[in-house]
Amino acid sequence: MSTRALEIVATWVLAILWVSPLVYAVWTAFHPSAYATHFSLLAPWTLANFAHAWEAAPFARYFLNTTLLVGVVLVAQFALCTPAAFAFARMTFRGRDTVFALVLLQLMVAPDVLLVANYRTMARLGVVDTIFSIALPYLGSAFGIFLLRQTFRQVPQELDDAARLEGSSLLGRLWRVYVPLARPTYLAYGLVAVSYHWNNFLWPLVITNSVTTRPLTVGLSVFASTDQGIDWSIITAATLMTSGPLLLAFLLFQRQFVASFMRAGIR
Amino acid sequence: MSIQHPLSPIQTGAAVRLVDIRRAWGSAVALGGVSFTVAAGTFCVLLGPSGCGKTTCLRIVAGLDQATGGRVEIGGRDVTALPPAERGVAMVFQSYALFPHLSVAENIVFGLKARSVPAAERGRRLERAVEILGISALLQRRPGQLSGGQQQRVALGRAIVAEAPVCLMDEPLSNLDAQLRADMRREILALQRRLGITMLYVTHDQTEAMGMADQVILLRGGRIEQDAAPADLYATPATRFAASFVGTPPMNLFSLPGETAVVGVRPEDMRLGDAGLPASVIHAEYLGADTILSCDLAGQTCLARLPGRVRLEAGTPVLLDFDRNTLHRFDADTGTRLS
Repeated sequence: MSTRALEIVATWVLAILWVSPLVYAVWTAFHPSAYATHFSLLAPWTLANFAHAWEAAPFARYFLNTTLLVGVVLVAQFALCTPAAFAFARMTFRGRDTVFALVLLQLMVAPDVLLVANYRTMARLGVVDTIFSIALPYLGSAFGIFLLRQTFRQVPQELDDAARLEGSSLLGRLWRVYVPLARPTYLAYGLVAVSYHWNNFLWPLVITNSVTTRPLTVGLSVFASTDQGIDWSIITAATLMTSGPLLLAFLLFQRQFVASFMRAGIR
Repeated sequence: MSIQHPLSPIQTGAAVRLVDIRRAWGSAVALGGVSFTVAAGTFCVLLGPSGCGKTTCLRIVAGLDQATGGRVEIGGRDVTALPPAERGVAMVFQSYALFPHLSVAENIVFGLKARSVPAAERGRRLERAVEILGISALLQRRPGQLSGGQQQRVALGRAIVAEAPVCLMDEPLSNLDAQLRADMRREILALQRRLGITMLYVTHDQTEAMGMADQVILLRGGRIEQDAAPADLYATPATRFAASFVGTPPMNLFSLPGETAVVGVRPEDMRLGDAGLPASVIHAEYLGADTILSCDLAGQTCLARLPGRVRLEAGTPVLLDFDRNTLHRFDADTGTRLS
């Protein structure tokens, strides 16, 4: 068998492995519980599972919490990473390279390592069990700074010179030249950030303990825990519901996302 | 799409004066004390080979680069410490530096917006620039959709709307093909004449300098070799380098028996005669109106520009002759001209 054929087979196997949980979830969610482990082409379709799931737990509130969380994190990250990245890319000041190395060092620290330390900090600040406390450790992002710095460095110096000569201030140049030219990077990075924080589980689980602050992931895990009884049809319906918006966005904007990723250099 | 004939100047230029400008990066000296004056409304070309400091010089005038020593004056005002935007200069960059995310119209008025010029005034200036350059059809396009020549026009448009008394250009034609370059050369010159602005134009191409300039400043290794009108630069080069840099083909420089100085003869002053220096033909290049004959003159290559078609086989012995009064003489050690 040629390498090419082997590659095709491997691709199919991996693709099927990857998509099978999703396929199972779709199957189970749209059929009555009786068919959860019983496949039949004649099985009746239903939306009842979604209705049950929606009523069984405050998903609307969880949706709101997650949206708030993701929105706050995204806005703060853009607002904080942009000036930092610009300073690292285009300004000269003492200790710039050392500070940048420290920022890069932060990339190597897995966030989960800091779980306890972060909890203590939040407790001292008195903000435990708020949406703000979920977001706070993530408001600055080393990855975002690094990515934007690389993008800003690729902006031709002559464009900066031209804007300077035309009378643009430092902030004017950042806003009118650098940020618009880095749009693909913002899009790609925004996507990574949104999906990461939409799916983040461990830290929100630790820091929240009420309905008004829990994001979708934690809400779903509470909903699916054993003491509520396990009904796969309802659990998969809830899962599809919570991951639905993200999935839909990916499918709709697939082409732009891939293009942005290629241009931003994230693969 | 061509620029209209010179009318009376609409705005006025300002004189530019550099006094002992120095620039060094660590121990590397880019400019070692450059001083010159460009009168208001003059087309001045900074000419020189790459690395001679001409672009550095321009960037220092613009304020994009800081000199390590010396003074820059524009219109009699010391601008050495002023930021670029307050110096009253416009600039056209080698890459055109058009903002790829803005339309042509937005690119042209970018600076006016940054300076909060009222919308009505912006519109008036844009209209005037567009009319001068003939780019009304391109206003809504993005720079990426334009050809090199069109991008060049947009860059010129941005310089025009600034209505600055001094315009700086950094090798603006180097990215265009030969035909377009010749056209744009005429247009830029006509534009400068029409607007009456002072132009500082950087190039390494001596034909551009000869064809456009009122004043040529020839730089080499961060120093001025010669500051003169093109005709004087050609007729009386001040140094051996100036003699060899200007002219196509460049001046022949060789030593003659019994002469301590290096002598120079322009190829067009050479002729084949019955008497003269014995040489042998290396190659004859026929160019249509004339023929460039390369000869071996006692181990030195010597070029002669002869009218019409000259058919001579390689190796043919010839006698190279010239009038004594066309001879240029340079000091063998310092390279300076001997009168």
